[in-house]
Parts: sequence; C-alpha cells; structure tokens
Amino acid sequence: MISANLPYFVFAVLFLIGLLGALLETNLIKIGIAIDVMESAANMFIIVLGYRNGGYIPVKFLMPEGVTNFVLPTPQALTLTAIVIALATSALMLSLIVMLYRHYGTLDVREIRRLRG
Amino acid sequence: MFSSVFSGAGFWDAGVWVLMFVFAGGYAWLIRRAGRSDYKKGTDQDEVYYSGNVMPDVDVFTVPASSSYWGFREALKAYYSRLSAMHTGVATEYVGWFVLTGAVILVFVLV
Amino acid sequence: MNLMNHLLALALAVPLLAAFATPLIAMISPKARNMWVSCVSALITLIVFGVLCRVLSMGTQVYVMGAPSWNITLPSGLAIPVRIILEADAFNALVAFIASLSSLAGAIYGLKFVRKFTGLEFYSALYFLLTAGTLGMILTGDLFNFFVFLEISSVASFGLIAFWRDRPEAVEASYKYMLVSQLAAQLVLVALAFIYGRYGVLNMAAFSSVVQPDLVSKVVLVFILVALGMKCGSFPMHMWMPDAYAEAPASVTVLLVAMSQASLVVLCRFCFSIYGTAMGTSVIPWALIVLGCLSMFGGVSMAVVQHEVKRLMGYHSVSQVGYMLTAFGVGMLALGDKTAMDGFGVTAVAGGIYHMINYILYKGLLFLCAGALYMAAGSRDLDKMGGLARKMPLTSALFLIAAAAISGLPPFNGFVSKWMIYESVYAVHPILMVVALVSSVLTLASFVKVYQTAFLGPEREQFAQTHEVPRAMIAGMCVLAVAIVVLSLFPSWTVNTLVRPAAEALVNKASYGAAVMGGALSCSAVFSLALVSGTRAFGC
Repeated sequence: MISANLPYFVFAVLFLIGLLGALLETNLIKIGIAIDVMESAANMFIIVLGYRNGGYIPVKFLMPEGVTNFVLPTPQALTLTAIVIALATSALMLSLIVMLYRHYGTLDVREIRRLRG
Repeated sequence: MFSSVFSGAGFWDAGVWVLMFVFAGGYAWLIRRAGRSDYKKGTDQDEVYYSGNVMPDVDVFTVPASSSYWGFREALKAYYSRLSAMHTGVATEYVGWFVLTGAVILVFVLV
Repeated sequence: MNLMNHLLALALAVPLLAAFATPLIAMISPKARNMWVSCVSALITLIVFGVLCRVLSMGTQVYVMGAPSWNITLPSGLAIPVRIILEADAFNALVAFIASLSSLAGAIYGLKFVRKFTGLEFYSALYFLLTAGTLGMILTGDLFNFFVFLEISSVASFGLIAFWRDRPEAVEASYKYMLVSQLAAQLVLVALAFIYGRYGVLNMAAFSSVVQPDLVSKVVLVFILVALGMKCGSFPMHMWMPDAYAEAPASVTVLLVAMSQASLVVLCRFCFSIYGTAMGTSVIPWALIVLGCLSMFGGVSMAVVQHEVKRLMGYHSVSQVGYMLTAFGVGMLALGDKTAMDGFGVTAVAGGIYHMINYILYKGLLFLCAGALYMAAGSRDLDKMGGLARKMPLTSALFLIAAAAISGLPPFNGFVSKWMIYESVYAVHPILMVVALVSSVLTLASFVKVYQTAFLGPEREQFAQTHEVPRAMIAGMCVLAVAIVVLSLFPSWTVNTLVRPAAEALVNKASYGAAVMGGALSCSAVFSLALVSGTRAFGC
C-alpha cells in the first residue's frame, strides 16, 4: 500500500514542508522559496494523478500501432498552466521582496510591520 | 414598480419613507424660516452656548477622530487590547491564522 | 454570425484584448489612452448588460469555447462536457453586471485621480486585466478556468496595490496580500486535483451531477471554503484586507471590492449549485455562520477605533462580508428541507445576494469618496481633516448617500437587504440577529464619526485653497450613486426582477446541471465513467 501510494506521500511531505516554511521562516526570501516548494508540490500531485501503469505518451502519432493504454493528457495541460502561473507569481514575489529591502533595509518579516492594528 | 416588498413578518415601502423625508424637510424649513436675522454680531448674541460653561479659547474647536468614542473604547479596554494585539502586522502570522482556521474546520468536518 | 450569441465570450475577450492593446495605444498620446480606457470600459458594461438582459429573458446561457458552434456542450458520443464552458444564470449575470459597473466607475474616476503619476499605460493595462479576471471568475462554468482567472486577477491586483511603489507601506501591503493569496491559490489547486483524481471531471455542472458526500468531497469543500473565505475577507483571515484596501489607489480599491465578491460568487456556486444537498455534513453551514458572526462583530469593532479613512473602510468590508456569509450559511442550513426553505431559506439567500450587489455599489462609492478626500486634503488621516463640506459639497453629498446605505438606514438599499437578512437569520437563532443589529449600530457610529470629522466642523486654514475634485472623478462617483438611488427607490422591482430569480437560480442545483448538460444526460453513465477513472487513479 505504501509503495503504490508513494507519490502521494511525497506530495504531502513536500506540501507540508512548503507550508511550514511559509509559516515559520522569518527571512523574506526563504518564505518565497517555501511558497515555490508548495507550488511545485501541487504541480507534481496533478501530474502523478494522470499516470497509468505502463501507459504511453498521449500523442496519437507517436504511439505504436494498436496501443490503447496511455497516460491521461488533461493533468499535463493543467500542470503546464499551473507551472506558468507559479513562475509569474514567483517573479512578482521576488521583485516585491527587492523593493521591500530597498524601503525597509531588512529582510526580516518581523520588522516589516508598519501596517498594524 | 412602486409596490412594497413583503417579507414573512412585515413590509417595506420606499415611497412612505421618501414622503416622510419630504414632510420632515418641510417642517425643518418652517422652523428655519422662523429665525431672526437681526442679531448683533460680536456681542453675547453671537456666542456658542456651551451649557453655561466657559468656552475654551482655541482657534479651531473640534473633536479629532482619535479621541472620538473614548468612553466606548475605555469601557471595552480588555476586549480591544486583545483584539489589537491579534493584529500584529507580521506577514507570517496572517498565514498562521489562515492555516489555523483551515485546520479547525477540517477537524470538525472529519471528526 | 449573430453577435448576441457570443456575448459571454466577448465579455471576457474584450477586457483581455484591451489590456494588452493599452500600452500600444498609450504610445500615441495620453489623451488617446484616456479615450481608449473610457470607451472600452463603457463597451464592457454594455456587453455584460446585454448578457444580463438575455439571461433574464431567455434563461440560463451557456457558451462553449472552441466548439464548432457556441452551444454544443456535449459533443457526439461523449457523456461529459470536455471543453471549457462559460455559464451565466440569473445570479452570475447580476453580479457580473454590478462588477462591470464598478469597473466603469473606477476607470472614469482613475482618469483624473492618478493623472500626475508615471507608468499609467501599465496601470490601465493591469486595470483591464483585473476586470477580465473578475468577470472571468464570475462567468465561468469550469473549475480550472476559475483557478486561472483567480490567478489572473490576483496577479493584476498585486501589481496595482503596489502602484505607489515609493511608499513602503504600499509594497508591504501588496507583499502580505500576495503571501496569503498564493497560499489560498495553492489550496484551491490541490482541491481541484483531488476532484480530478476522484471524479475525473472538472466542469462545474458535470461535477455537481456526480458528487457524493465522501471523504474526498468533504476535504475539497473545506479547502475551497477556507481559501475563498480568505479572499472574501472573513474574520481570522482578514488582516490583509485593511492594509491592501488602504494602500491601493482608490480607483483600484473599487475593483478589489468586486474581486472579493467574485470569490464569494464562486463559493456560493460550490456550496449551493455543486454540492447542494450532497454536502453530507452540517458543519460547513455552521462554519460559515460562525465565521460570518465573527467577521461582522470583529470587523466593525476594529473599524470604530481607526483614524485612517481607508483603513477604517477596509475593516468595514470585513464586517459587510460577514453579513453575506451568515446569510448564505443560514440558506445552506435550510437546503433540502422544503418548509425551511420556503420559510427562511430563500429569503436568506436572496438577502445575501442583494447585500452582495448593494455592497459592491456603496463600498465602491465610499472608497471613491475617500480617494477624493485624499486628493483634496493630502492625507488619509482623519485627525488632519475638517470642515471640508464647504469646499467639496458634491463629494460630501455622495459620501452621505453611501454612508447611509452601508449603515442600513432607510430608505436606502442597504436597509432592504439587511432587513431580509435579519428576518431570515432570526429563524435559526436570535443571537445571530442580535450580532447583526449591533454591527449595524456600530457601522452607523463609525460613519457618523468619519462624516463629522472629515466634512463637518469649522473651517481649517490649511484647506483654504482646497476646491472640489475634478469632474471626471465626480462622474465616476455618480455612476455608483445613481445605481444606489435606483436600487433604493424601487426595492420591490429589484427584489422581484433581479434578486429573487438569482436566489432561485442559485439554490436550484438540478436546473444548473440541466442548463449546461441538456438534462437528457443519464446520470448513471456519467457516474460510472467518473468512478472508473477515479478508482484507477487512486490505485495505480
């Protein structure tokens, strides 16, 4: 049971690592990396969901004759979209961190709290 | 189009309220018309009545926003000190509240 | 080609195209950019108004992206919809129209509000992207399409909140919002992956016809509830809202308000149209009610003590969203029970929907007035303002309309929707109505404070040179004020023509699925297909 569901356990561990990083880290860049790890874990989960044992790639003209066993293509499309979104948001987050460093002079998230109360 | 909205227990009609505002406005206009414009400026007739007390000698007499509702805030000081302490402004604590809420609801749903 | 058939797709395509064309048009001249922004915003409002009229006269509209014809939802031989489907019923179309009105108001207002700053071509492009994302979230019928539009609108809003990037607080607000927003989006993505793995469908209507109350569905619903509740701003997860709403330019805050309501629209879709009676647990409605009550009271009690105008209004946003969450939670409690539904359920849902559209309108107007105060007084701090009603009579009159509407004063529209909510939540437990009433009183108290300190009072000498804000800004505010006044003076028309059909469309899960999938579909065929793919996924 463990070996059959190993990808799902790996996804859970990676997602929790990312979540704990976003919660407990105090350096802004480490928080950004943790969000990135979380996004990669979610993308990996979607890919793994589409896998079928012994399946071929889901491209009709690249499969040998008479093969009907292929991995699902929809999760691959979903993951491509999600990877692009993760890339864009990571870039935006890093640029915001650069601007925050220029304004506040520190990367410690506990110091960046002018908006409170 | 001009009918009332009925709920289970009562009804609401906007026309009645607009009519009431018209009447109230008319009454206010009548009262204002009864005022007199022949008062002498600069004498006691022009002074603000401050319940018989002496008017403080300031240029601008206003209550700033930070001092309004002082009594309310003092009475609820215990509640407000804890509530304001919750809003620290640290970004990772925002994430923490989010995860905490999700965990509590998940526990209640699954158990 | 009958253009009226393609209105739904145009409602998404026009803002997207305009967003990417804006930097090119802005290279001609600033005047060309201003004309482009105002014309395209008016066009978007007209298109969505056309969608609303079509839906109210002809029933639920669907649109299939990429098919040979716009209404082939089930291609021959297939039992589930395989293409991305846009869907507009009475609920969607109403909220989309009000969101497009607020986008129009913000665009016209922004013509003069941000005039003195650079980077305006990117501001307008991001503004159209945020509009496209909001309309996409509301009008979509596919779950992954919702995720994509959620991210589009989120990324556009991160950029727009940090527009005044020389202010450290603006960048800080954008970063904090980005952190929680990314976490919520990842939770939504994991929930969608769960749905795909278990059921094999990602279309909302197809999912609604196969969902069963098992472990995976419950976990999915909790993830979606928490993530979308955070985007709306419910109490424990609301702390980004006052920061982001305060630091964004006022014309952007109007769209942020519409975006939070778009997430609430999808949350209602999930709870009513997709899950409905298949929720299997009454924890979720009670969770919504508890979150709603906490938001109502916590939000408004934090708002009363603020002295910065837009931060105060941001906390009020938290409180108003609490009203809607409580109303929808009460409606969900009554699902499945016919007498309860007729007694208070449909009224609760109708009150929630009416409050949603009222909230977008009066909150937008409040933020635009706060922006006008910022422009006139140079600061958002209420301690530094005073006596501005003499210099800005139009702004103070519009602020009075919006403040009376949000406090629930008769005869404004805020009163009617709050009254419907009070009467229906009383049927569940009187304490909910007490919390709602106390929050209304505190809302009135804080807006009396704002009006008194900002507009009334003696003249200050530092405002001797202040004058009324430019006419474009007044025009933007009047768009929303006219909508508020129309909704206030004709409440029965609004409730009977707009709100009740929306409530009936929302609670009627069967008609939602039938509108997309044609109704003649055999449920068992879909279920067996989904079950086969599901069991093979989780045992490979």
